[in-house]
Amino acid sequence: MAGLELLSDQGYRLDGRKAAELRKVQARMGVFAQADGSAYIEQGNTKALAVVYGPHEVRGSRSKTLHDRAVINCQYSMATFSTAERKRRPHGDRKSTEMSLHLKQTFEAAVLTNLYPRSQIDIYVKILQSDGGNYSACVNAATLAVVDAGIPMRDYVCACTAGFVDETPLADLCHAEESGGGTSLALALLPRGGHIALLQMDARLHQDHLETLMEAAMTACKGVSKVLDEVVRQHLQEVSALTGE
Amino acid sequence: MRQRQYNRLRSLLKDPRHHCILFANEFQEYSYCPREKGEPQDKWQTRCVYHAAVWYHDHLAGLKPVVMITEDQNAVAEYSSLNCGVYVLCTQEYLQTFWPELQAALELYCSIAQSLQEKGSEGTEREYTEHLPAEVLEAGIKSGRYIQGTLNVNKHRAQHEAFVRFEGSSNKSSELNSDVLVCGGKNRNRAVHGDMVAVELLPKGEWRGRTTALTEGQGEEKGDETQSQPMATGRVVGILQRNWRDYVVTFPPKEETQSQSRNSQRILATPWDQRIPKIRISTQQADKLQDHRVIVRLDSWDSTSLYPNGHSVRVLGRAGELETEVQTILIENCIHVPPFSEAQLGEMPVSSPESPWSVDPAEVITRRDLRQTHLVFSVDPRGCEDVDDTLSIRSLPPGPRGERLELGVHIADVTHFVKEGSLTDLEARARATTYYLADRRYDMLPAVLSADLCSLLGGVDRYAMSVMWDLDAQTLAVNTVWYGRTLIQSSYQLYYELAQALLNGEEAEVPELAQLPPGERDAKLAQLTQALETLTHVARQLRAQRDKGGALELEGVEVRAQLDEDRNITALVPRQPLEVHETVAECMIYANHWVARKIQESFPQQALLRHHPPPRQEFFNQLQDSARARGFTIDTRSNKALADSLDRAVDPRDPLVNRLLRVMATMAMSNALYFSTGACPVDQYYHYGLALDRYTHFTSPIRRYADMIVHRLLTAAIAMEKGAGPAKALASNKELEEVAQQINNKNRAAQHAQKVSTELFQCLYFRDKDPETDERCVADAVIYTIRANGMLVFIPQYGLKGAVYLKNREGQVVSERQDGGCDWQTGSLQRYLDHITTTTAVGTSTFNLFQHITVRISVEPSRCHSDTIRLEVVSNRPHQAPETQVQTSQPQGARGRSQLVQEVVRQAEEASQQAEEKRGRASKLSTEEREFRQSKCPNLYSLLEEVRELALLDLAACGAGGGGLGAAAQACATSA
Repeated sequence: MAGLELLSDQGYRLDGRKAAELRKVQARMGVFAQADGSAYIEQGNTKALAVVYGPHEVRGSRSKTLHDRAVINCQYSMATFSTAERKRRPHGDRKSTEMSLHLKQTFEAAVLTNLYPRSQIDIYVKILQSDGGNYSACVNAATLAVVDAGIPMRDYVCACTAGFVDETPLADLCHAEESGGGTSLALALLPRGGHIALLQMDARLHQDHLETLMEAAMTACKGVSKVLDEVVRQHLQEVSALTGE
Repeated sequence: MRQRQYNRLRSLLKDPRHHCILFANEFQEYSYCPREKGEPQDKWQTRCVYHAAVWYHDHLAGLKPVVMITEDQNAVAEYSSLNCGVYVLCTQEYLQTFWPELQAALELYCSIAQSLQEKGSEGTEREYTEHLPAEVLEAGIKSGRYIQGTLNVNKHRAQHEAFVRFEGSSNKSSELNSDVLVCGGKNRNRAVHGDMVAVELLPKGEWRGRTTALTEGQGEEKGDETQSQPMATGRVVGILQRNWRDYVVTFPPKEETQSQSRNSQRILATPWDQRIPKIRISTQQADKLQDHRVIVRLDSWDSTSLYPNGHSVRVLGRAGELETEVQTILIENCIHVPPFSEAQLGEMPVSSPESPWSVDPAEVITRRDLRQTHLVFSVDPRGCEDVDDTLSIRSLPPGPRGERLELGVHIADVTHFVKEGSLTDLEARARATTYYLADRRYDMLPAVLSADLCSLLGGVDRYAMSVMWDLDAQTLAVNTVWYGRTLIQSSYQLYYELAQALLNGEEAEVPELAQLPPGERDAKLAQLTQALETLTHVARQLRAQRDKGGALELEGVEVRAQLDEDRNITALVPRQPLEVHETVAECMIYANHWVARKIQESFPQQALLRHHPPPRQEFFNQLQDSARARGFTIDTRSNKALADSLDRAVDPRDPLVNRLLRVMATMAMSNALYFSTGACPVDQYYHYGLALDRYTHFTSPIRRYADMIVHRLLTAAIAMEKGAGPAKALASNKELEEVAQQINNKNRAAQHAQKVSTELFQCLYFRDKDPETDERCVADAVIYTIRANGMLVFIPQYGLKGAVYLKNREGQVVSERQDGGCDWQTGSLQRYLDHITTTTAVGTSTFNLFQHITVRISVEPSRCHSDTIRLEVVSNRPHQAPETQVQTSQPQGARGRSQLVQEVVRQAEEASQQAEEKRGRASKLSTEEREFRQSKCPNLYSLLEEVRELALLDLAACGAGGGGLGAAAQACATSA
């Protein structure tokens, strides 16, 4: 056995969680007035900010315009202070580009883009503090921001990671668990229908275990969706109280 | 080191028998306390623990006192004054206050504390080179510069010779295909027998050979004349893993302690195991403990110290007493057999004369009821109380292809009573097997199960696991097999002699039928005899089928008797091997085989099977050479060829030749082992001895844990077939392989312990006899191996094996007088392939392989180690037995051996009785105790089975004088 003991004999993880337990999720919507939609989320120590502009006319090169649906434009970036070592380049590196692409794919699957032909929706996400599960924090934040912007979606997109240690699936990995070298599976789910918007896995995993791991990730996503739903409802209440309706 | 301690803690926690609980206080809301600014780590941790203790105290509403133990005196001072209901104590104070009657614990604590304290005050002079750091070793092993392996110390030259048997595929220097020799203490560099070490090879010029001569005691070797070809030689550069266990040591007598302890109370104690170096122990009780055997644990071995440091754990007793010696044997083999605890016995169902246990109606529904439909009977040795297996056979209505038979094997359903993960199950898993020593046994399961509820006794309802075959009556082709849980009632509890008598058509009294009127009795008797006959017929055919495949099936009077003799239980064994033994054994093999097939099919990755790898051809060299000396050729190309050629190698004048050849063949065999199917490629499942492609152990769950695992697997397989998922996840391949290894190790330990205990009894027997005058000490012996300065002989009368030296320390050799007697003379020794000659001024005498000589047996006493038997040549002619004693006749020899054990036990008993009487106690107690001790009359069947089982496991033990290849075959045959 090398390295850290990710799961103790008593079933505790490094940070005291049980195998299927999520980190504490806190979120707020409508954090910026300028943007069409915005949201801030904390999943444990991972903090992400999402801003949505649109739908609006396609800017820049017109050639990107799609005549039957909206273009989704995503940009992912990490604050220079988000990791233990200061980052040189907040965005534009390979990892960020890949992440942007993943986000784009995720939301193309969730947003009802055909309602807005020849237009564009911009989603900007920034990681303020990174402690594992960056992708899922981004997706969850962006979902709230899209909701805040009033853009119709099929369902919330909820994302969560899951890992596999000692024959046990672990939900919502933190940074220490992710860097342990084990399997990590990121799943973006449309919880109501159980549709998978994106599934990504690094490292190897025996085929026999895939099902249990997927199961764990799905349960975790559904957990996240409950929290997001609550946040949205809470926000709505606050807003309606303010507007006096 | 730290990892090791962590693992030890973990294993303590894992095992519920230790009642250790871990409370994750940092993860509990109310017991968590954050670290304050500038607070040192250890202070913070102490505070956390205290806080958690306070929380627990409050959680229990102050009903129970909570004690926190720490070695930090400051913490004790700081917190004990707070008075929150939690006692803060240091260990010593805790033991004194709460466990004043537990003196041993306090002593143990003191001995550890002292050894820790004195660790700092070591000398600074370096005795050994430092070990290399772990990273360097790892890199070196990967690059092939160092070789990784387990250190094996040569028992006879513990100071000088050790070998490293390398493991793993990391070995790049391919010319190296043997062990690496490590010469001398400096090169061994503080490695202890059993440690996993990294070795660096020395330059070829410094390579040395291994010593081939027999040595007496620890005598220094002079000259290199007796060394073999130089072999790879190396030195230890680092230790990858210590493999220290508990060691039994003997404290030196007073005069020695005074001379050696210049400072404080340090004493050099000598371990019982000769391969372990002397251990330095700090103790205050040196005077009290002299000549006692004490369990010691090793703590450390620094490069500045010539000997390792240790601390004493427990005192076993005075050296030389039977109880002490037996306990020593157990400890040295890592066998722990405490009496079953209250909690474990509490899990057992109640069965007493007042409230006898009865079958549960709910269970009856779920099981197939065979009570009315099948004639079930058991065949066991006379007086057997744990009956694991019963048989049934009956004809079925003829099918489309002709007559049909139904053969059934019904095995005690132990796993019904012992649930997986229960305390009893854990204990059984830890023991892995029932241990049989020369005079006693230690059961794997509590007696209520092994002798009552699981035992398939006659005339009572019992749960069973059954395998039933629907066979074609003519060809014995299997139509269908049924596996499942059943309810049976054994009608007859037969014993071997009775069953054989029935088969032979002799007059026999069946106890179950004694009460019946004559007419009814005859009918029932005819029915039983008929069943036995059919069974025998089936078994014969089954064996013939297996023989065709090349099973090492070796029967013969002498093999069987010899094997028994070897194991000290001859008196219990019938004079003639009966066919009914074979019959029962064959049915058991058949059941094992079919169960193996079933569980392997159902769980291709995680079934527990047993395989017997084919032996390595080079191991047969000695056998072939020896056989050639007598003009026989042994064909070892396959198991069938070997069996056939051994059958041919019979010297009509001397039956012992064949027996000894079989001994050597057995020594060449590898061990049969349990394994998990996922850990082995399919072509390695083969069982060489039985010539079966799948084999496992299913038929003796009462005394083998492996069988219990197989029962659970089979149950799960049946459940799976019915469509229900297994109630509980089965052990994964990795876990199962771990368990299999553990069982293999325990079996080896059990077998070794048995061998050593036999030797102990031999020594105790001869200890009080004067070898010069007592004629029992002179016996006939057969030479079976020639060595450089002597030979190895086998004494049939006592089943003893030993070395005879032809050259003593003064350089004198044995020479023969005119009358056949021998004495020591100055001369020379010449060794040939099949004989050895001594030349002196008087003449030349020759000792041939397989020659009968006469030897005198005496005991070489040893204070720190076990006593050893010493043999001297009296004459190089066969021993002329005085008076009436018939020479080398099996039954006679047999009787001699059993008498030996009985006599020694009796002596020890008398001694203990006398001691008790002295103490003014009633001497009755002792005899009563003996009655209730489990050791009395070990049941023959289980002994016999165990013995045969063991015969395959350890090569050395098979050499112990007897278990021939027949033993190997029998081991396979009857390991049912």
